[in-house]
Amino acid sequence: MIEYVFILPIIGGLLALFVPVVMARGLLILAALFHLSLTVLGWMGKLAPVYVNYFRVTPEGMLVLMVTSFIFVFISIYAVSYAYETNLQNERIFVSCMLLFLGTMSMVALSDHPIMLWIAVEATTLVSAPLIFIKRSKEALEATWKYVMICSVGIALALLGCFFITLSMDIGNIDVALSFSSLNLVAKQLDPLWLKTGFVFIVIGFGTKMGLAPMHTWLPDAHSQAPSAASALLSGALLNCAFLGIFKVNALMHVAGLGGFSSNVLVAFGLLSVLVAGIFILNQPDYKRMLAYSSIENMGVIAFGIGVGGIASFGAIIHLIHHSLLKSSLFLSAGNLLLGFGTKLVPKVGNIAKLFPATFVSFFAGFAGISGFPPFGVFISEILIIIGAFQAGRYGSVGILIFGLLLVFAGAARIVMDISFGETSQEVLVKEKFFRVMPSFVLLLTSIGLCLWLPNSIYQKILHTIEIIGGGFHG
Amino acid sequence: MTHTTDTVLVIILLSVLLSLGSSRLKALVETMALQGIMVSLVPILLDYGADGHVGGSLIFVQIMIVIKGVLIPGLLFTAARRMTIKREIEPIIGYHASLLAGLIMIMVSTLVTQRMHLTLPVGREMLLTTAITTLAAGLFLMMSRRKAITQVIGYLMLENGIYLVGTALTKQSHTLYVIEFGVLLDLLVGVMIMGIILNNINHAFDDVDTTYLGSLKD
Repeated sequence: MIEYVFILPIIGGLLALFVPVVMARGLLILAALFHLSLTVLGWMGKLAPVYVNYFRVTPEGMLVLMVTSFIFVFISIYAVSYAYETNLQNERIFVSCMLLFLGTMSMVALSDHPIMLWIAVEATTLVSAPLIFIKRSKEALEATWKYVMICSVGIALALLGCFFITLSMDIGNIDVALSFSSLNLVAKQLDPLWLKTGFVFIVIGFGTKMGLAPMHTWLPDAHSQAPSAASALLSGALLNCAFLGIFKVNALMHVAGLGGFSSNVLVAFGLLSVLVAGIFILNQPDYKRMLAYSSIENMGVIAFGIGVGGIASFGAIIHLIHHSLLKSSLFLSAGNLLLGFGTKLVPKVGNIAKLFPATFVSFFAGFAGISGFPPFGVFISEILIIIGAFQAGRYGSVGILIFGLLLVFAGAARIVMDISFGETSQEVLVKEKFFRVMPSFVLLLTSIGLCLWLPNSIYQKILHTIEIIGGGFHG
Repeated sequence: MTHTTDTVLVIILLSVLLSLGSSRLKALVETMALQGIMVSLVPILLDYGADGHVGGSLIFVQIMIVIKGVLIPGLLFTAARRMTIKREIEPIIGYHASLLAGLIMIMVSTLVTQRMHLTLPVGREMLLTTAITTLAAGLFLMMSRRKAITQVIGYLMLENGIYLVGTALTKQSHTLYVIEFGVLLDLLVGVMIMGIILNNINHAFDDVDTTYLGSLKD
């Protein structure tokens, strides 16, 4: 019964509210490890869903679930160490919301019913809001308010999109169960006009959650105000889940023969996101906001890659995996800096190469990775996406994409150089500790490992994922 | 039973106009409670009109009335009572202009419903018009009022509108109560969390005006 993958974290999350803090910490790590082992079993196909009307094991869902589960293990180690050192207030709520967050994200990954997917995505917003708010500062309050309101309204529009897809079913006089897998079988008979309308609403709705421009306005605030462990989860796992919703409807569009339309929509949103991120990152005074804008850029790249199709869609999925690994590692390193200096402002932070040697290595390596330098995986994925776009004849789009990537690189490089080697007058408040450095290194090494050697089972899962939108090495 | 359905829809439309024109927070929450109950009644009236008997959906409608008509307004009342509100609604766009906008929304949604050329069952055109108006008015309320609590009310109205669109457009045969209940639960928990944040905003700033929430930007 694969439903345990989300039921158990949710039970654990509720339990964490009522046990002593020390036990709650143990529960977090234990639940993370248990979740990973269940996910591995599910990955190998040993677990089947029981509620077949609502849930289903799909290759794209398993990929997202695996990435989420893997990074969650290391984020939870970091979170426990972080909470222990900083005497975090309301720690039980923090642990509880982390577990509920894991549970609801797993639910997104397994959902097959469009509205069940919607319920799960909305639930991720609700259970992650207290995580952003945990420090109770005025800024955190503002960020949480924007997050909840903008995402709720956005996701409400996605629900409207789901209803339009149901309408397209009724107009086509089809009587099948409402689920992505059965819709894919009858996609050709769906009413194209309403399917298109539904797709646009869903891209706007889930795109809000995924951080696609111009609906991204909540993202830099929320990611910069949340405690770093939560930022790492928001950026590394949540954005993928929102993407999954868009991906499934995009697949439906492709099967229905409307792939050209959905591809163009995704390419447009993707390019806009990359450009917007590039513009806002240039004079960014806050290094956590810089990472947040980089997430917007990377989500744009993923949307672009899926939109272009063919070999680029393979690149997009690889990009999704490596972005999660690298960005969560970067947010964890940024958390060490924030703890060490007590400020997020770039001009006040500096010389981390001497003051925090281990964090410096992980932060710098993470930056190199996310900018597309080998031996990290983003190098391969971006090359695949660019080659794919050339094959598809989208020369203009490729030009804009590369320009956007360069802007982001220029902006980020300035900040990273500044805080790595610049001067600082700030006192070091807290030194780096093994358990707050180790998780970032493991995530970075995983990215290198997956770049050098991609296991066959992952390769097959990716191919099965993109098969439906006509992606692959021969497309 | 089309007659009863129409009455309910007219009440919903009136509640939309009333909420656009109201200057008192208490009256606004009461209007939302009324609207919530009316919206919950719509599916059962349609069902009744179609084949003359009421099935298992009755229990679900009761749950929905409790959540939309009692629990959520109750939460909003508690939130409103704790707040130090100096002036009540503080519109960015005035009440009369808002009312006019509401009337224009009704006209436009009637037009949109006719232009969509859908072969809807009898009586659904009116439902769709109401739904689109409610949806648009909810968005309008969110954008045109300064108080954070009014934005929550706008969000609720938007959600009511979307629920009505769903009822109007889709066949009842797709209804799965697990799903409907999940959506409702999300809404309830959402309003609870918004209420908690509202309370904290009030503590931190001594007001719930969203103009205070503007320090984070690039």
